[in-house]
Amino acid sequence: MLVVVPYLIQHPGTTLDEASALFAIPVPQLRRDLEQLFLAGLPPYGPGDLIDVDIDEDGGIWVAMADHFARPLRLTRQEALAVYVRATELAATPGVPVAPALTAALAKLREALGPDALGEAAGIAGAEPGTPPENLDAVRAASGSRERLRISYVAQSTGERTERVVDPEAVFASAGHWYAAVWDVDVDDERLLRIDRIASAEPTGERFEPRGLPGAGRPLYTPSDRDVDVRARLHPPARWVAEYYLVRDVTEGPEGSLEVTLPTATMGWIARLFLRLGSDAEVLEPARLRDEIASEARETLARYGRRLPSSG
Amino acid sequence: MRRLSSRTMTGQDTMEPLERLLNLVGLLLESPTPLTFEQIRETLEAYQGDNLDSVKRKFERDKDMLRAYGVPLEMTGTDVWDVEQGYTIRKDRYYLPDIAFTPEEITALYLAAQSGPAPTDAVSGVRKLIYGVDGGVLTGSPGGPLAMESDTDQDRLMAAAGAASDRHAVRFGYRTAQGATSERTVDAFGVVFRSGRWYLVGHDHERDAIRAFRLSRVTTDLADAGAGIDPPEGFAAIEHVESAPWDAAGLAVAHVAFTPEAAVLAEGNISGASRDRVREDGWIVLALPAADADTLGPLILQYGREAEVLDPPALRDDVIARLVAVTGA
Repeated sequence: MLVVVPYLIQHPGTTLDEASALFAIPVPQLRRDLEQLFLAGLPPYGPGDLIDVDIDEDGGIWVAMADHFARPLRLTRQEALAVYVRATELAATPGVPVAPALTAALAKLREALGPDALGEAAGIAGAEPGTPPENLDAVRAASGSRERLRISYVAQSTGERTERVVDPEAVFASAGHWYAAVWDVDVDDERLLRIDRIASAEPTGERFEPRGLPGAGRPLYTPSDRDVDVRARLHPPARWVAEYYLVRDVTEGPEGSLEVTLPTATMGWIARLFLRLGSDAEVLEPARLRDEIASEARETLARYGRRLPSSG
Repeated sequence: MRRLSSRTMTGQDTMEPLERLLNLVGLLLESPTPLTFEQIRETLEAYQGDNLDSVKRKFERDKDMLRAYGVPLEMTGTDVWDVEQGYTIRKDRYYLPDIAFTPEEITALYLAAQSGPAPTDAVSGVRKLIYGVDGGVLTGSPGGPLAMESDTDQDRLMAAAGAASDRHAVRFGYRTAQGATSERTVDAFGVVFRSGRWYLVGHDHERDAIRAFRLSRVTTDLADAGAGIDPPEGFAAIEHVESAPWDAAGLAVAHVAFTPEAAVLAEGNISGASRDRVREDGWIVLALPAADADTLGPLILQYGREAEVLDPPALRDDVIARLVAVTGA
């Protein structure tokens, strides 16, 4: 209430519904709290200190004569730091239209709240955000207006481009990438797409009803029954794989190595991952993945005009 | 218009905590001098009653609750001789100072606070800042809300940010990218967000050097280890967070041809990639920052037969050598 009341005094006629949404207080509780507010501010205060609260027929709230509650209390240190950290994070994320406003707001916060609340806030910093994905704005706009999109998408797992019609329900950033949780109309199922892999996006003009697909906080890889388990040994320079991809049954192996199971939907992309890892990783099983890697290596060498005898 | 029902029956026992707390805050804010508990009791009905112990307990609870909420309730001498201690809330410490945010700025802060996981201190903090602006600007953000998620434990992030702003040292368990784990004690200088990840930057006691620690690799909570040292003059935490090798500002550029599909993937995966030209066969040539060929070679191999290094020759040779090694020829 020490935060809500100043807002209500500054904005006479704010409705119960508006205030409820803004401060995340259910309407009945808000009404009860306002009644309590009316009871507060009794003598010993002079008449000028009495708090007068009215709620009109349209739910508009009118608060008067609560001079000492006309301005909110300061942010706690935790609140000030948390606002600062969140704003820094968002300002350093590519493709955030409000980034310049955030940077300006951070400077004002630092100045106004001072060392008491923020300490050496200058130590909390974000790097320059990189270039945002080309179609981020189009997908966010469609998500905001619930507009169905026709997209062409390149899946990392297959390396193939497909045309899809999707309902983009939720858009979020995670660990430096933007994602869209979509309903894929053609396959009639949910998909999680990385927005930088959307090669083109055209609005269809059709609207969709959201199905409540989960957005931020969901797992980025959904295991499926058709997944094949790949068991691999990751030497120290390749241990990052266990942080970057979904793995299970992790055990420590010899000489600082890590043994993991990587579930994968297709062999193609995982063969290329091992091509990248080279001698830093070993495939333990399935054996056919080793053949696949060698064959991919030969095909790739052919690009460079090198022919090698097939080892079969 | 309906006037809310006036007091009808509220006796001290049924008095709601909210009313009691608001009364206490109002009284201490308006009183020109600190008030002793006795004086507060005389004025506020809620703390009257015969059982002094239980009234006192109630008062203590209320004090704690207000302080947790951020109300700067202080205890100080009631006069210059400090004979008696009284309670006060100083207006200059209670009230939010004037901050002239534009509507765009406050909208941006509101979006930022809402973008993180779960209800947080950021949300309650921003609610204190919005009193001067019309709530309408907050709900109508262009392009929908912004959601962020993080691989970093939020409590650990806030502990690191707090230590950095306090210039404190922290102790924690850490696992390097190569898997080695150890306990570190670090004078916290700053926290930095780069490429989607948070880092703690500070002076590592054991190594006696400035190091950056990725918070997602911190394996324990951060324990406060007391006051830390100050950073060197002109220190900027951000300069100590190792950039991805291909982010390094170098003039070296590699040209790599990709199939159109692989080009889309590479543009998203390799930061700093830019389109150079489209070849006659439809392949797309990307210009990639190539400050560190040791890292770029393997990255390109992830595109398999759908990528071919055109130049520099050293990178081309490096990729060929790696491929030959894999085929075992």
